[in-house]
Amino acid sequence: MTPKVMIKTNKISKTVNTSQGELQILKPISFEVKAGESVAIVGASGSGKSTLLSLLAGLDEVSEGQIALDGEAMEVMDEEQRAQLRGAKVGFIFQSFMLVQSLTAIENIMLPAEIAGHSDARKRAEKILTLVGLEHRATHYPNQLSGGEQQRVAIARAFISEPKILFADEPTGNLDAANSEKIEKLLFELNQNSNTTLVLVTHDQGLADQCQRQLHMQAGELTEVFSESDTEKVG
Amino acid sequence: MNNQAFSLAWRLFRHETKRGELTIILLAIILSVASVLSLSLFSERLETALTEKSAEFIAADRVLESDKPIDLGWIEKAKEMGLNTAHQTYARSMVFANEQMDLVSLRAADTGYPLKGTVKTADEPFVAGKATNSLPNESEAWIESQLFQTLGINLGDSIEVGDQVFTVTKVLTEVPDAGFSVFGGDPKVLIRKADLAATNVEGPGSRIDYSYFFTGDRDDLENYYDWLEPQLDREIHDWDSIEDDESAIGRSVGRAGQYFLLASLLAIVLAAVSIAVAAQRYSQRHYDPVAIMKTLGAPKSMVQQIYLLQIVFITTLGILIGVALGYAIQQVVVMAVADRVDVSIDAWHWKPLIIAIFTGSICAILFSLYPLLKLFSVSPLRVLRRDLGASLSSRMLQFLASGGAIFLLMWAYSQNLKISAILFVSGITLVTTLMFVTFGLIRVGRKFAQGKMGPWQLAWARISRRAMDNSVQLISFAVTIMLLLVVLVMRNDMVQQWQNQLPEGTPNYFLVNISHSQQPNLQAHFLKQDVNIEKFYPVVRGRFVAVNDEKVRTAVSKEDPDERDSGRNGLGREANLTWSTELQKGTEIIAGTWFEEGLTLTEAERPYEVSIEKGIAERLRLNLGDMLTFNIGSEIVNLKVTSIRDVNWQSMQPNFFFVLEPRALQNYIPTYISSFNLPSDRKSDITSLMKPFANVTLIDVDARINQLRNIVDQVSVAVEFILVLVLAAGALVLIAQVQASMDERQEELAILRTLGAKGWLIRSSVVYEFVIIGVVAGAMAAASNEFSLYLLQTQVFQMPAGMHWKYWGIAPVAGALVVGCLGAIGCWRLLSLNTSHLLRKMV
Repeated sequence: MTPKVMIKTNKISKTVNTSQGELQILKPISFEVKAGESVAIVGASGSGKSTLLSLLAGLDEVSEGQIALDGEAMEVMDEEQRAQLRGAKVGFIFQSFMLVQSLTAIENIMLPAEIAGHSDARKRAEKILTLVGLEHRATHYPNQLSGGEQQRVAIARAFISEPKILFADEPTGNLDAANSEKIEKLLFELNQNSNTTLVLVTHDQGLADQCQRQLHMQAGELTEVFSESDTEKVG
Repeated sequence: MNNQAFSLAWRLFRHETKRGELTIILLAIILSVASVLSLSLFSERLETALTEKSAEFIAADRVLESDKPIDLGWIEKAKEMGLNTAHQTYARSMVFANEQMDLVSLRAADTGYPLKGTVKTADEPFVAGKATNSLPNESEAWIESQLFQTLGINLGDSIEVGDQVFTVTKVLTEVPDAGFSVFGGDPKVLIRKADLAATNVEGPGSRIDYSYFFTGDRDDLENYYDWLEPQLDREIHDWDSIEDDESAIGRSVGRAGQYFLLASLLAIVLAAVSIAVAAQRYSQRHYDPVAIMKTLGAPKSMVQQIYLLQIVFITTLGILIGVALGYAIQQVVVMAVADRVDVSIDAWHWKPLIIAIFTGSICAILFSLYPLLKLFSVSPLRVLRRDLGASLSSRMLQFLASGGAIFLLMWAYSQNLKISAILFVSGITLVTTLMFVTFGLIRVGRKFAQGKMGPWQLAWARISRRAMDNSVQLISFAVTIMLLLVVLVMRNDMVQQWQNQLPEGTPNYFLVNISHSQQPNLQAHFLKQDVNIEKFYPVVRGRFVAVNDEKVRTAVSKEDPDERDSGRNGLGREANLTWSTELQKGTEIIAGTWFEEGLTLTEAERPYEVSIEKGIAERLRLNLGDMLTFNIGSEIVNLKVTSIRDVNWQSMQPNFFFVLEPRALQNYIPTYISSFNLPSDRKSDITSLMKPFANVTLIDVDARINQLRNIVDQVSVAVEFILVLVLAAGALVLIAQVQASMDERQEELAILRTLGAKGWLIRSSVVYEFVIIGVVAGAMAAASNEFSLYLLQTQVFQMPAGMHWKYWGIAPVAGALVVGCLGAIGCWRLLSLNTSHLLRKMV
């Protein structure tokens, strides 16, 4: 059976207004990501990979083109509808962890489940906190945790609502080598176990190599798409 | 209400409170509620106490004055409504003794008089009296010191008042409702009301006034007046309270009341400024959590509910702590003041509590409105792009919400739309002007930022780079310093004016009936005993008989043979006419022109001119150009009214209703009036001073002056305490502002520190930055202070306005010192953290 298409883009682009006039920061891009697939978006700084991630995740609106997440067209949604879609189907991991500083580790993990209205948020959080090996840090605030621990909390938070798609922005960018390795391992383990589609943005070729596919970005253009088995040229 | 939103809001509130993240906004609300409550409650209590104390000067809380006896049912109704009542009848009558006579003010009082204050008596004339709770017995009279002199009698002698003989048993030294006009009153004789009928002074044609005194709860008094008012005839009745009193006491208490109101209004504005600053900071600190929640799928309505609930929780906690703290502060001040003001300040008032809660809530909600709307507009994209702030940018909305809040509070508090509107429009003009000035200064300052990077350049660079933030901060500093200046200078001007009203050496004795030949001897005799007499005023007594040939009522007492029942109102007594070419100090011509010296003497054809006092002109319905006829020693003198004067009767200097041009009285032999000051501890010297001049009458006003000075002193002390409270509130607001702005500088300090900048460079640059802001804010505050004071003094306090140059120097220096020091302390606290801790705080 052919895997379901989880992300589908059709000539999506992003144009912004600057003092010098309009500037196209993302040129028309089309590609698909299948369910359970892991994809790395790689490229130099300013190549447009974070912009692409923000459009795929519905954090920003496309200027042109169509984009569908699990079959739902996002270009016709307003911010509220996109938020609802994110809450239901998407998980996030960020380079700077983006934990709410005034909530404890477990409360940060509970947050998406609570927003989604799950009454068993705490139970779910405790379970997943154990999975990431931080049960002893449940009541600690983010600034009482190390960088690696904070990212593990962020990963736990991302998986609590059992998302269909996980977006990760430089998930190991703020960590040392030892911690990066642990986080990568945890991320891919959870991804495989929960059959989540993973889209991550990274500079780290080592991390990108662990993904099934790589999308290379340069100056706002998707230049090449590599998969584990073959190499495709995107024109 | 979404359950998830409530539980999230509550959890965030609990954690943030515990972690001290809400400290600034919480402190701002606590400060606003505490300062408004303590100030309002203290001033309300003090004002009530002072009004209570001042009520002694009308011998009651309210007085109904009437030309005719009132319906006794009115008194019964007052008693039914829980009021205490007393009654006094006033008659002008002749008193006879030892073949001498004098015109007196006869007071017949019933039991209960005075309801407020005390009557004081003595056992010999011209000595200090002692308070008594009683009234004269049947057929007894208490008379003032000067009557012993004019009638040549002693205690125990008899006097005749009308048809009744009274035994004089006490010297009457003081009655609470004597009034402050030295020459307006004749010597007083106090008898029992029951004895009045036997005198027969009441009757057709007699000049009788009736005063009905009332005391009771404010509400009962107001309810009674509501019932009574429709039945009153304005031609006959007059309902008075000390607030309506035009005397120095009434004005002092009234002005102090306005000052308290002003101080409380300014405290509200201070509170608003501190909450505005804190709310802005609160909003910025929550950009990240909002972006995270939105990213994780929280709908906008949920985010709105979470943060609105947070504000409700913070406001509630702030109000609770603020009320407790405000009450405690106020109680401490009450205890501190208790010994210094001779009034009881334990009355409880609900209004300040309601105002304080209302202020806290309105400030917190309306000043948070714009920052919250900005917060709600934060894009989820901020999770990827940390530089993204809020997308909403409508300064107009911010000004509308903040301005609306301040206006609403001022209106609610003052209950006066006009004053609120004046203050509000002035405030808007001021802030707009300040904003332009600030931008100009920042632009000018840019060139100072050039050159080798030292602390000075770093400071200017930071000011220029954050022009918008700095301009808001500068304005809030300037407004705070200005408000403090207004309260300080207003207090100084007001107390100074009170002190000028009764300076040291104010005459406390008056000499009347001095003959021309006695003048030099009297002056020399007094000088020998080290008592200075400055000026003799000539006086000729005359009876006012007609206006424009229309005859007026001329009777001065029932015994008067000229008695006429009808006709235009007259003076009711003989007038003291004086002449002068010089306008007396403190007197102002409000209509017509003063005599031109020299000119009048050569124009024999012209009518004689007279200048009349404003009050008498209103009472007798006299106008410029009217011809007045006086009967002086059986000769008729016609005088044309050429000017009307406003006379300061509180000056305790001899003043006159009628001042004539000199040639009008050149053929008459005057007697003279003078005044002198004798310290209270030399009161016993009166006998030796007056002994050689038996015919000269001495009027003792020492007791009145002491009463006046006493109340003014107490009001001054009260005003000083209010000033201290406002200064303390202002200082706390400044600290909160510096604290909030220091957090904003944290990121930059962390970066500078990380890049290896030395502590002294960072510290000096921050101190310089705050010093610059302090100097500019101080200078702008001094300028704004003049503008606000001019409006307040001329439009609200009815005081003369002037420039306050010394504050143009003091304000910038004080601004630099205070703001600079606070900046240095804040910076020192931040730099005491190590770099990694500093960086971690930023995350």
